[in-house]
Amino acid sequence: MKTKIILLISGALALGLLLSGCVTGLTPSSWPGISADGATAYVASAAAVYAVNLENGNELWRFPEKADAKRSFFAAPVLTPDGQLIVGGYDHVLYSLNPQNGQVNWQYAEARDHWVGSVLVANDLIYAPNADYNLYVLNLKGELQWKFATRQAIWATPVTDSQRVYLGSLDRKVYAVDARTGKLVWDKALTGAILGSPVLGGDGRLYVATFGGDVFALDTANGEQLWEFSAGNFVWSAPVLSNGALYFGDSNGNFYALNASTGAQDWSLQPGSPILGAPLVTGDHVLFGTEAGNLYAVDTQGQNAWNLTVSGKLYGAPVAGSDLILVAPVEGQSLLIALDQAGVQKWAFTPVKK
Amino acid sequence: MWDTFIVTPLTNVLLWIYGIFGGNFGLAIILFTILIRLVTHPLMASQIKSSQKMQEMQQSKKWQEIQKKNKGDKEKLAQEQMKLYKELGISPFGSCLPTIIQIPIIFGLYQSIMRALVASPLQLLTLTRSVYAVFDTPALLPLNSHFLWMNLGQAPEKIFLPFLTSGIPNPTLAIIVALTTYVQSKLTMPPSTNPNDQSAAMGKMMALYMPLLLGYFSLTFASGLSVYFIISNLVGILQYALLGKVNWRNLLPGAKKEAAKSK
Repeated sequence: MKTKIILLISGALALGLLLSGCVTGLTPSSWPGISADGATAYVASAAAVYAVNLENGNELWRFPEKADAKRSFFAAPVLTPDGQLIVGGYDHVLYSLNPQNGQVNWQYAEARDHWVGSVLVANDLIYAPNADYNLYVLNLKGELQWKFATRQAIWATPVTDSQRVYLGSLDRKVYAVDARTGKLVWDKALTGAILGSPVLGGDGRLYVATFGGDVFALDTANGEQLWEFSAGNFVWSAPVLSNGALYFGDSNGNFYALNASTGAQDWSLQPGSPILGAPLVTGDHVLFGTEAGNLYAVDTQGQNAWNLTVSGKLYGAPVAGSDLILVAPVEGQSLLIALDQAGVQKWAFTPVKK
Repeated sequence: MWDTFIVTPLTNVLLWIYGIFGGNFGLAIILFTILIRLVTHPLMASQIKSSQKMQEMQQSKKWQEIQKKNKGDKEKLAQEQMKLYKELGISPFGSCLPTIIQIPIIFGLYQSIMRALVASPLQLLTLTRSVYAVFDTPALLPLNSHFLWMNLGQAPEKIFLPFLTSGIPNPTLAIIVALTTYVQSKLTMPPSTNPNDQSAAMGKMMALYMPLLLGYFSLTFASGLSVYFIISNLVGILQYALLGKVNWRNLLPGAKKEAAKSK
């Protein structure tokens, strides 16, 4: 009888452990988010947010100091004009950190889901998209001013022209809301979930890419569709607008340049590996990364300037920091790699385990 | 291998049901659970049959005589037991094998539910690569994980009480899971007249521990799992009822005593 009881309890424990294994294996994770000012890069990657010296790639501080299984960070931290570093965690908490030392200024814990997308700081407000379907709008002290509800999670950073805030939701809609009051001005249903930020043109146009594989140009006044371009497959990130051209990649491994006025394709490349991150336009080059770990730099006509392969998968967008190009590969040997404008590696940062 | 043959097909069945029934993931889990229960019904029926045969054998005079005769010799007793199994056409694994076969299905089902409920871009990427080409992925994903008051991809939300400001997980689902598990265990427990019946004692213990264990899981893990537990319990009761194996008296202690007295 005793043996049977022991077997029974062991069986129950094994069931518990196996189920927890299922859960742990599926703990939400994503690719690192990077941002930078003139001297420091900030990287949100899993257990911590790291501040890294752009001069030499040395760690300046990390938050939290000691890894905590309940906390993880993937949204790129954002600096405010009054010297705060805002970063949301998968623990449902939005933190304001001191960018000098990583100390917490304040935290906002009223959201009910992950902070997947970075915040937008404008009009002395923090526009923070949350996976609990809401856009939370806080003042710079972390006090809620208003919130706007959509019908699905919001993973993308909104954009603003000061009068209105434009946001895309996984509910397949783009919303234009009054930037001060949060009142809906218009909304527009598109062909798929919106995973990347909308992009504002200076001419009253809003460009939006969808998981349905399309890129749309909408009129910011009323959301009316101006043109539509169909890419081969899912478009994961925001397109980038530069000198009248829109650049973006898709998960089939195609990279496109469109005429932003007409939506006509200027050129395309087929690197052959999925492109999930947004491109970066720096100087005369357009840079984009692929899942295979290749970073391509092409000129505005699509001609290859240089390319290199890093260890790991380049899911996130390359980011400019000082005169460097920063990439954060997933499953690579280093967390952050800094390259010069010619693609030569200057340093690589790998956090020391604490 | 596990992924290709268990989790991915189950995920696609789940997505297929979700697509058919208007994008309601709660309903999809319910129908998916019923479907899995129907598919594994023959296993369950054979398990019940084997258990019953085994119980009848343990209550038989012949077995009791064999036990008395070989009291001090465990090896001989085991040999005699195997002989008796053969004679009565009982497979010693008949009652546990169907259960063992169901375990990977339960884990696969849970993993497929969790995979479908993406909570981050990387999970969405994994899911898109699991979806068969026949589906219109952008039209299907991401799934709407809200059902009634729940977010099926998350553990129950915390509720805050005046004396518990740090909050506790909402226990509603856990209570329903524990209650349905208890009722199912009680209703499906075979009657035992032998006070020394070890399997009956085990059954009683399971009826107490399993509701607590599954209730704890429901507080800790994604609510989608709780929906699965509840529906699985209710369908289980229905399956036993259809096979005529439900002991309604087990739920009413008074009725049970009276039944015992009348015997």
